[in-house]
Amino acid sequence: MENYLIAMAVSAGLYALMALGLNVIWGMAGQVNLGLVGFFAVGAYVSALLTLKLGAPIAAGVLAGALIAAAVGAVVSLVTARLRGDYLAIVTLGFAETIRVVASNEIWLTNGTDGISGIPGPWRAALTPGEFNLFYLCLVAALVIVAFALIDRLAHSPFGRVLRAIRDDEQAAAVAGKHTLAFKVKAFAFGSAVLGLAGALYGHYTSYIAPDLFLPLLTLYIKLALLAGGVGNNRGAVLGAVVVVTFLESTRFVVPLIPGLTHVQGAALREFLISAALIVVLRLRPQGLLPEARMHPVLAKEQMAAQT
Amino acid sequence: MREQRVLTQFLQLLLNGAMAGTILAVPAIGLTVIFAVLRFPNFAVASHATIGAFAGYVANVSLGLPVLPAIVVAFLVAGLVGLASDELILKPFRAAGFITTAIGSIALTIALENVVRFMFGNELRGYDLPLMRDWRFAGLRVGPQQVENLAIALAVTAAIFAFLAFTRAGKAMRAVADNPTLAGIKGVNGETIARTVSFVGMGLAGLGGMLLGLDTSIDPLTGFRAILSIFAAAVVGGLGSVPGAVVGALVVGIGEELSLLILSPNYRSAVGFLAILLVLTVRPRGILGQRAY
Amino acid sequence: MGFLNVAGVVAGYTAADEILKGLDFTVAAGEIVCVIGPNGAGKSTLLKAIAGLLTPSRGAITFKDRSLVGVLPRDITRLGVAYVPQEHNVFPSMSVSENLEIGGYVAPARTAERMGQVLARFPVLANKRRHAARTLSGGERQILAMAMALMVEPELLLLDEPSAGLAPAAAERLFEEVRAVNRDKVAIVLVEQNASEALAVAQRAYILVDGRTSRTGQARALAADPDIRRIFLGG
Repeated sequence: MENYLIAMAVSAGLYALMALGLNVIWGMAGQVNLGLVGFFAVGAYVSALLTLKLGAPIAAGVLAGALIAAAVGAVVSLVTARLRGDYLAIVTLGFAETIRVVASNEIWLTNGTDGISGIPGPWRAALTPGEFNLFYLCLVAALVIVAFALIDRLAHSPFGRVLRAIRDDEQAAAVAGKHTLAFKVKAFAFGSAVLGLAGALYGHYTSYIAPDLFLPLLTLYIKLALLAGGVGNNRGAVLGAVVVVTFLESTRFVVPLIPGLTHVQGAALREFLISAALIVVLRLRPQGLLPEARMHPVLAKEQMAAQT
Repeated sequence: MREQRVLTQFLQLLLNGAMAGTILAVPAIGLTVIFAVLRFPNFAVASHATIGAFAGYVANVSLGLPVLPAIVVAFLVAGLVGLASDELILKPFRAAGFITTAIGSIALTIALENVVRFMFGNELRGYDLPLMRDWRFAGLRVGPQQVENLAIALAVTAAIFAFLAFTRAGKAMRAVADNPTLAGIKGVNGETIARTVSFVGMGLAGLGGMLLGLDTSIDPLTGFRAILSIFAAAVVGGLGSVPGAVVGALVVGIGEELSLLILSPNYRSAVGFLAILLVLTVRPRGILGQRAY
Repeated sequence: MGFLNVAGVVAGYTAADEILKGLDFTVAAGEIVCVIGPNGAGKSTLLKAIAGLLTPSRGAITFKDRSLVGVLPRDITRLGVAYVPQEHNVFPSMSVSENLEIGGYVAPARTAERMGQVLARFPVLANKRRHAARTLSGGERQILAMAMALMVEPELLLLDEPSAGLAPAAAERLFEEVRAVNRDKVAIVLVEQNASEALAVAQRAYILVDGRTSRTGQARALAADPDIRRIFLGG
């Protein structure tokens, strides 16, 4: 049982990392990103391939995963620099789907839909499964804390202030002489790096990745986490991740209790509950579940635009 | 002789692409017309295509209806679900802005897709169609069902054009898309138009979903698989432009078929994505669209 | 019985805004009243409040003894008050005749007949009836916008700076049309930056400053007034 709880906590930690990454891209820089799972997948595949096929040390693989994801994020950001929000939404979604399609088809590289198994984990051979679990939890927790500290620092730094200025009124920021493109790209790249990091960590934890794990549903979970905790709020990101994972896992318990459901129906019901939960949270408290949450500027600005 | 064969192969792909493109135009028009009036990209088109496909399947296989009445059923069921889902779920988001509505539409599409999965499971299903032999001419082959699908798609597209050009409701819809405030001042009821466009747009998505599946098979992921191509068609032609959706669908349809010359068939949706990226970088307003910024 | 009566209206674009700060304003049936004043005085805001696009936080607006406050814009149009906004006042992608059709949306039974009358009235539009509205020149577009409003046979026409951005010759023609429309017994509220033309066309005038009526009276008298000549008419 405790193994299960630890695994759940690791999940929550990875989600928290991704939510923090999204916070930089969306909460601070105001860039819509519906293709989170694509950057997650890039990090996972890069690290898995480097460590498994080329025998690189795990730390190097993880670092490479984060860096390559950052580079991809920079490219996506550059290419979509001048696009309006809804076009950015479509392109990022398409990007994630394309990553999945490429992963499914380039069998020579990714093993296609069979996925890559046997991804090494740090000291996995030397530890019992229980010990490995615990160790990994500490690792992920430590990284979450580091990421949190870094991103919080970023938010309060001059860089963070410029990002928020760009988010709130890009034209004004550009007129004030800020190189808005460079800032947006850096923010996108940084957020993507964190997403890629989470992906790499995921691969080394579960030792198996496959394209079907990287569905838009995952992007939705992260969005839900951020919305539940409060967009732009770093503590909220972590809290939201915990809430989402708890909810996800609890459906895993509740659904089998309903009699007469096939396996497929159970899975469908779970996904339905999660998407319904997102709709409910979006409707009732788009500003998040934390009591002191205020309406975040990205959501408030949108609201004003919608009313004119 | 070899050149003959290459030419024939090329023409076959062109023909397949033109036919596929005409069928793709149907859900693309649905997406673009919803964008024109309600001003957000409605990702739920994916699940409504699936719903239409399955509604048509039930009408065809369980109720024994032939293709044409089943298509009507697909349109009506998807349209009604679209109307209800917009009214109950997406409309309250519209006041919060288009990003919230777009995210809401993604959640909605996943929810609806899973309802279909819950009811029907994951297996591939095929429609109950009479077996017919392919027609051949000039070295090209085409299936009679494909031709019927083409005819249906053309008829539907023509009907939509007529609706928008000649009816009072259609003109009111174009007015709202053009200048919603002015339309409101002049007496057009924005609510009614929103409901009409949700019904028609999603109905078209459902009809398109069935057309896409008539030739092959359907499963809960039918709509999701097509969504990139549908978006590509609408974006290439210019989001919000109905003639643009038709042009864009032909471009994407032919492009996807021609890409078979160099890519594996699994990469079809990647072609759609590349098309979107290309258009948005080079000419964001699309071929016939008005503005992209 | 009053025709259009605005009394003590306080209004702005949001609830907290106060662009109009307690405005009194009346129009009698069949007359042209012009509203002039500096930028930001609230001239457009006044028209939007009458047309129902803004709700005043205080005060009353009545048309033929019916309150317009809180009534939807399309219902105000049905009552006989037609509003022509300053910008975005046509449907650019639709043809001239389609624009007119939508103009007459609240009275569909009369549309065909009315369109014939309106096109006869404005030959420049009849010549371009199938052209998209965005292909019209600035002056033609303003005429179209006014013609759209006339499709519902209004008793009161609200014109928001119709001559803005027009070359002098086009503006001349526009004011001619305004006079002609008034001769058909349509009352007009004319908001204008072009004070001299507005005072020449109108019977009565209001000068708005800072959300309140500063001066009001017969247009000719105000045009001759030395202070007004100095401030608005360039001496």
